[in-house]
Order: sequence, then C-alpha cells, then structure tokens
Amino acid sequence: MTKEELKDKVLNLSQGMLTYSDSGVFDLMFEVKPENLTKAAVLLRDHEELRFDFMNNITGVDTGEHFEVVYSLASLSNKTRLDFKVVLPYEGAKLESLCEVWKAANWHEREIWELYGIDFTGHPNLTRFLLPDDWDQGHPMRKDWDAPDFVRMPEL
Amino acid sequence: MAELRTEEFQVNMGPHHPSTHGVCRLVLTMDGEKVVAVEPVIGYLHRAIEKICENRTYPQCSPMMDRFEYVTAMSSDYVYALAVEKLAQLEVPERAEYLRVIMLELNRIASHLIFWGVTAMDIGAYTPFLYGLREREDIIDLFEMTCGQRLTYNYIRIGGVSRDIPKEFEPKCRAFIKKLRGKFSDYEGLLNENPIWLARTKGIGVLTPETAISYGASGPVLRASGIDYDLRRDDPYSIYDKFDFAIPTQKTGDCYDRFIQRLDEMKESLKIIEQALDGLPEGEIKAKVKPKFKPPEGEVYSRIESARGEMGAYVRSDGTTKPVRVKLRGSSYNHLALVPEICTDVLIADLVAIFATLDIIMPEVDR
Repeated sequence: MTKEELKDKVLNLSQGMLTYSDSGVFDLMFEVKPENLTKAAVLLRDHEELRFDFMNNITGVDTGEHFEVVYSLASLSNKTRLDFKVVLPYEGAKLESLCEVWKAANWHEREIWELYGIDFTGHPNLTRFLLPDDWDQGHPMRKDWDAPDFVRMPEL
Repeated sequence: MAELRTEEFQVNMGPHHPSTHGVCRLVLTMDGEKVVAVEPVIGYLHRAIEKICENRTYPQCSPMMDRFEYVTAMSSDYVYALAVEKLAQLEVPERAEYLRVIMLELNRIASHLIFWGVTAMDIGAYTPFLYGLREREDIIDLFEMTCGQRLTYNYIRIGGVSRDIPKEFEPKCRAFIKKLRGKFSDYEGLLNENPIWLARTKGIGVLTPETAISYGASGPVLRASGIDYDLRRDDPYSIYDKFDFAIPTQKTGDCYDRFIQRLDEMKESLKIIEQALDGLPEGEIKAKVKPKFKPPEGEVYSRIESARGEMGAYVRSDGTTKPVRVKLRGSSYNHLALVPEICTDVLIADLVAIFATLDIIMPEVDR
C-alpha cells in the first residue's frame, strides 16, 4: 500500500475523525480531536484494512503555545506506519487513556503524565515514575520549567 | 495436624542486583519462593537526555545519544541521525551508508555476544561470559581503530560518519568474521543441549504473540514468539534492501527460544557485514552539514532495528538551530513493561532467567 492509498483509506474510513496534517515530514500525520481519541484508536487497530495493532511510541510535546500528544503506530501485517496527534490547551490538559486499546500505552502515558502534567482518564496507575518519589517541583519537560542552575545556550 | 499458615511478603530485588543489568528495582510479592506479582521501579538512571537536547543544536545532540543505549551505541547514534536526515531531507553519500551498516551489524553482534554471556552467567554458567567477552573484544578493537572509542563511539553523525576506516580495518574485519564463524560450534556445544540449561529455560516465561504485540515488544523478543517482522526487511532504512539475509524466527517464545534467536541472528549479521565489505564503494563519507544547521519545520519519527528491537527517535523542528523535542524510544522500555505480565506464578530463579532473556538494559529505559 502506498502512502497516498493509505491516506485516502484512513480519511474515508474515519469519516472526519482523523484529518490530515502536513507537519509530518516522512510518514503520514493525522490530527484527532480529544473527544474522538478512543474511537479513532479502536478504528485504526481493528479495521481489517488498517490493522494498526502495534503501538510504537507516544510523545508529549510542549510547542510553546500548547501541548501535543503524538501517537506513532505500525501495522505488522500490512507493513505500514502512521502517526496521529492530539492538540491540547495548557489549562486542564486531559485525554482518554488508551491502555485498553494498546497495553504498550500504559508506561508511555504514565511518563507524559509525570513530565508534562497531562492527565489521562481511565489510566490504572498514574504514580511517580522516572522522577524521585518525593519530587515536588512541577513538570520538568514543560518549556517554562528550568532547573535551578540552568544556563540557556545562546542562539547561534 | 494443624494446617500451616502461609503469608505473602514483599522483597526488594535491586536497585543494585547483578541480574538487573543496570539499576532497576523490582518489588516482588512472594509466596514462599513463588513470585505472585512484580512491580518494576525505574528512574535510577534518569539523566534527562531529552530535556538536555532541547538546549543544544542538532549536531551537539549526537554525543548524548551514545549515552542513551551504550551497549549498541552505534544504533542510538544512527536513529537520531536518521531522524534529522529525514527532517532535513539530507542525501547521505553511499560509502557512508555502507560504513554505517558494517558498524551497526558489528555492534549488533557485540551486543548479542554480551547477551549470550551474561544470560548464561545470570542462570549460573560462568564460562560463556568469558567466551562472549573475548570475541566482543575483537569488535571493540575494530571500533577503536576506526573512531578511537570503545564504548561511546559518536561515529555516526548527521549526514554521514565521522571518519573513514583505516586500511587495516578490512583484513581484520574479515579475519574476525572467519574466526567467529568457527566459534559458533563451541557456543552451541556449551549450552544448547545441556540438560540443566534446558530445564532452566524451556517452557519458562512464555510470551504469546498477542501479548507481545499488545505490549509493543519488538526485535528478537517478538521474533522468538513466532512473528516474522524485522524492520531491516519490512521497513528498510539505509541500504539494507541491497543485502541478502534471512530473518530467523522461533516458535514458542520461551526463554530458550529468545536465547537461540540471538545466536541465529549473529550468523545473519555476519553475512550482511561480508556483503557490505565486498560492495564498499569509494567516495565521500559525509554530507556537508553547517554548524548553524537548521532543518525545516516539521516532525518525524524514525525507527530502526537495534540489537534489542525497535529503537525510535521522534524529533521535532521549528526551523531554528535547536530541536523543540527529541524523544527516544527504546525497546527495553516496552520489554520491561512486559515483565509484570509474564512473571506471575514463576520461581524467583526463573524471574532472573526471564529478565535476562528479554535483554533489558536500563539506560534505554530511563534515558
């Protein structure tokens, strides 16, 4: 399946849940509204022509204007790959957990919860993960968070 | 006779336990010698590589990648370079791609040799550890000859490789291939049919294909569970589509299969290195990359088949000299998440075997 065919297929099957985004440089990138996340994920995993059964990665991104959560998926049987992302505002950033869809999502979501402060509803275990148990200094991967002795490198 | 009362208790395994390959703490709920539940506690090796990368230019991030996964540092160098090259749509000279493949495959063998030795040592056989490290030493010498480093190579850079191989490299590499081929019968003779080894690994820690896929297991772990999937063939990067090699798979997905899987993979890697040495073209080894390197705006997730499985890098650019976000995905991360699933109702000694054959290393988990 070529990229164009896959793009058309996803756009047709999702009936507007997934929209194409041109920010992906190499693989296809789609955008999903937060309220459609679980439905879109289940469609991508279970539809027999898509079969995205393998979750590669989830990345939290702080763009400086808002949060983005980028999901990378692959299909082992069709040998295809795509990404989709959800855009979230800083205030009350909240998403449905996809642990039930792909078990691999569990740890990735826990990490994003801890480092960005994005809440995942329905996640079984949102507890301290990479940071020390007694950590109380906020969410370090946010752009407005700097370590106390931090020196910003000058722009070249 | 009065019935014996038993009670579950908790044991901390690690963070400083020799079989956790780094610093990982496993909180075990035990019933006698049976493990009832496992909870991995991670973060002891968290060095905030991803945060540091946001304050550095693209070429300055490369040396950080060696620290991400130091057992196959070539792979982690490469996965970052690949992501940035995709972002900037850089053309990499052909000679550089050949050199990269040679180094990646040598590094895969080095990693599998460590796996082979260390797994055996964890389960109680000491000799393979010495044999494995002896052969690995030759590979490390080849790397040192090429880039001056024995562990954190920083050899694969954005746009190519840091320097060309010296003249002595090729004959030494070919001699090593010949030598290692001759050693496989020794390796197989040591453990493959040893009754104690079979009792410790056969049928232990079975990973079904469904669980493996759902948890995002990849690489040798996935293939040992019978799924024929290898990124070098199924999503080819670099110049892997030019080489002829087989993808070995196993059937049951127990500890023994994961162990045999890696022995089989080493033989295929030797084939790739031989073909790459035969076809090595002359020419440039690095594309021109300015110090003020600015890839255009965009985001990319690149993935490669490292020795442990799928290694990925998500890189996002806003058109300046520094990345907005670098996220590294290590296969050990997903494999460690699997441990609580497949380590219920096993003996504590089997837990060590399962942990060892998943080939988890901690820097890749904590980053």
